Amino acid sequence: MIQSIASRSGELRAAVAEAASLLRRSRTPVIGGMMTDIAGAEAAIALAGAIGGVLDHAHAGPMLRDLDAMREAGVITVTPTEARARADMVLIVGAARPSAMLALDVPPTLAPERPRIVWHLCPGEAAATPAGERVVGGTPAEIPARLALLRALVAGRTMFAHLPAAPDLAACAEALQSAGYGVALWSAENLDAMAVEMLCGLIDDLNARTRFAGLPLASPGNVAGIAQATAWRTGYPLRVGLARNRAEHDPWRFDAGRLLAAGEADAAVWINAIDTTPPPWRSAAPLVAMVAPGTPKRRPSAAVTITVGRPAVDHDAVLHDPTLGALAAKAASAPSDLPSVAEVLNAIRAAIGAAEVGAC
Amino acid sequence: MLTLLAGGRVIDPAHGRDDLGDVWIEDDRVIAPPDPPRPPDARHDVSGMVVLAGGIDIHSHIAGANVNTARLLLPELHDAPDGHAAVPVSEVIGRLYAAMGFTTVVEPAISPHVAVQAQCELDAIPFIDTATLTVLGNGDFLLDLLRDGESGDAVADYCARTLAASRGLGIKVINPGGAAALKANARAFGLDDVVPGYGVSSRAILAAVQDAVISLRIPHPVHLHCSNLGLPGNVETALATIAAAGDRPLHLAHLQFYAYGTEGPQGFSSAAPRLAEALAANPQVTADVGQVMFGQTVTVSSDTLRQFGARAQAHPRKWAIWEGEGNGGGIVPYRYRRSSFANAVQFAAGLELFLLSPDPWRVFFTTDHPNGAPFTAYPDLLALLMSRELRAQWIATLPKAAMDVTTLPAIHREYSWAEIATMTRAAPSRLLGLADRGHLGPAARADVAVYRPQADHAAMFRNAAMVFKDGRLICRDGEVVETLHGGALSVSPGFDAAIDARLARYYDHVYGVKHTAFDVATAASGRRFETVPCRT
Repeated sequence: MIQSIASRSGELRAAVAEAASLLRRSRTPVIGGMMTDIAGAEAAIALAGAIGGVLDHAHAGPMLRDLDAMREAGVITVTPTEARARADMVLIVGAARPSAMLALDVPPTLAPERPRIVWHLCPGEAAATPAGERVVGGTPAEIPARLALLRALVAGRTMFAHLPAAPDLAACAEALQSAGYGVALWSAENLDAMAVEMLCGLIDDLNARTRFAGLPLASPGNVAGIAQATAWRTGYPLRVGLARNRAEHDPWRFDAGRLLAAGEADAAVWINAIDTTPPPWRSAAPLVAMVAPGTPKRRPSAAVTITVGRPAVDHDAVLHDPTLGALAAKAASAPSDLPSVAEVLNAIRAAIGAAEVGAC
Repeated sequence: MLTLLAGGRVIDPAHGRDDLGDVWIEDDRVIAPPDPPRPPDARHDVSGMVVLAGGIDIHSHIAGANVNTARLLLPELHDAPDGHAAVPVSEVIGRLYAAMGFTTVVEPAISPHVAVQAQCELDAIPFIDTATLTVLGNGDFLLDLLRDGESGDAVADYCARTLAASRGLGIKVINPGGAAALKANARAFGLDDVVPGYGVSSRAILAAVQDAVISLRIPHPVHLHCSNLGLPGNVETALATIAAAGDRPLHLAHLQFYAYGTEGPQGFSSAAPRLAEALAANPQVTADVGQVMFGQTVTVSSDTLRQFGARAQAHPRKWAIWEGEGNGGGIVPYRYRRSSFANAVQFAAGLELFLLSPDPWRVFFTTDHPNGAPFTAYPDLLALLMSRELRAQWIATLPKAAMDVTTLPAIHREYSWAEIATMTRAAPSRLLGLADRGHLGPAARADVAVYRPQADHAAMFRNAAMVFKDGRLICRDGEVVETLHGGALSVSPGFDAAIDARLARYYDHVYGVKHTAFDVATAASGRRFETVPCRT
């Protein structure tokens, strides 16, 4: 076991060499977690290209649920900043809570003469609904059906009046159609694919008469940013395989957890420079773990553990900023000597390349 | 490193040169023949070949949130049989442009709030130098200034500050006021329509930004995407916009998409001859064509009002619209079909603009990639411009009723090499203020494309015989010789820093974030920025 916690030390060089050796011997390596900055993602993509690896992200699942609604049907979305400025109607779906920046309790900043009305569909048991928000009750499992009924009402169809939620749904549908600029807000962490697609369809339907847009809340770990980087580098979002001299995308086939659980992958790289969540996998495949300071040790230990700097904390970085709804350049808040994910991955790739040249 | 390209036909319209001769390169620059003579370190015999400066594409959507959303929207296109998606990945963009002999490309529509992503993507494109145009004209801060009758200086300070923060080479205005009007539930927006809540017309927004660009001495004039794109009869919008420009310089983007009349049995016809006349009469106006070619592509635009309306024409049936501060974006896949009356008229109207244009210095070569066609169609388009016979073959495959509402079949003109070189090299250099490229005079950047003449013009343009970037041989017959990375071009006009304090207050209240949060931090981006001087 090689563990590197010091920066730019002999230990780090040894760890990089060990990781390179391990990955070079691998036939089907997976690079997962991918909780890093854009430079880290680009380095991971380059490494995966060099070793014929698979790229996945810890939060690829919810990201792909949102993306599937777009690439199967179509979506209208809005940035968080524009929603704060313009939304006089907000429909929250499921247990999501927006960031304080959205300031739902005050009128839209560019239309202060209009009150901001908030409806919450199926908030779930734990949610304490703020005063003034109107609620259509229901469990998470009822969300797709509730959304379907809202779509039917917006389309002018009649509904079975005996349903307990009928009066609330009718009032909600009426309110949504009276919006000047409405925003529907959700987190795909809490919604299944059917609910996301139904909601995006409702948003589109509402645009027949008024304006409405969706605000999917970004999942953690910079997954929105990493999916952008894989798109400009490979054409695809995450769950990409680079083993056949071209990129392939398959959300099932290239699921890192599945590949490791099924024994299809014979080496793994876990990258999490953003928080201290340790690798979740239980697999016999040797593991290279790149972790942020303070990450708890896991059993069994990784073959190689490298402590890396946190983007925008230890080093400057480009990250997706969920309050901006865009990639943003962030200066380090507490610069340190810890190596960045990009530096470590590029060093591993260089070590693999040097060894292969030598082998020829 | 001294390099000699010996004995080629050297065509350099910026210097009126079209003769058999040599081009000398020392390191990254073109030089006069060494005097006293020195032996070159590398000598390339290019006799029988044509030597041009590296091509400059003034309008091609190669990066940014909209382009990347198009990639994500259409995973099926990345498996296209020819391996070239309508929206290729960054590495492929650089390689295919380089193979064609293009060495500088302008991404023409980056909204200030997504500029960081655009620079990240451009940094991933090898071989070519790149630049962006910063999109203004729909943002609430600017509309506020205009509603309140603020001074031209305030507008100019805002434009300059935003340009500097987003690292643009110039300013793009896209359907001025249209995206803002869509947010207020407008579904159509013309030159004299007024943005709800602001009382400011599209015409007034355009004039204000033009005045700002003039006062800031930015080399590239306002790069305008007019209102009413794609609609029958919209030639009137384009003509009214040209008239509105008055004496102010103006660049009209993808003019083909505004070359439509309402004649003929389907109420849709080419009005390109009228636009060609207007261009001839208005020397302060330039235009790029935005040629349509046939096949599957995806339309990518910050004209959210237009793209919102185009959802019904999506092929395949899916799309993405996003709204943000200012323009936002709309991504709608589309397939141009030879059998379609309307698509055939569009194809003809674009060629008419090229062929009826009086002046290759003012009409530019684009397909509005990927909107009219992917840039990979350039070789075929160049071949069509150079051969009347080839055009006749294409016309024979198109609906006759469509050709009857255009003048294309009657046009005999064929572009000469000098005109091609003007349109794709010398003129873009002048239009963008890039004095160091687009020509082969001493001190020019040694970006050079060498073509091997052959009967198949498209094959000739697809894979240049040799391409040099900064004096290095990067491609030979379409194959990469050396991979290198280009730089980023931007302008940096000065402004009164007081505008920052105003923006800080506005962003804190309206958006709840810092106004600097969107800025391109040059250190973090890894980009090699080069400042293009403003006019003196």
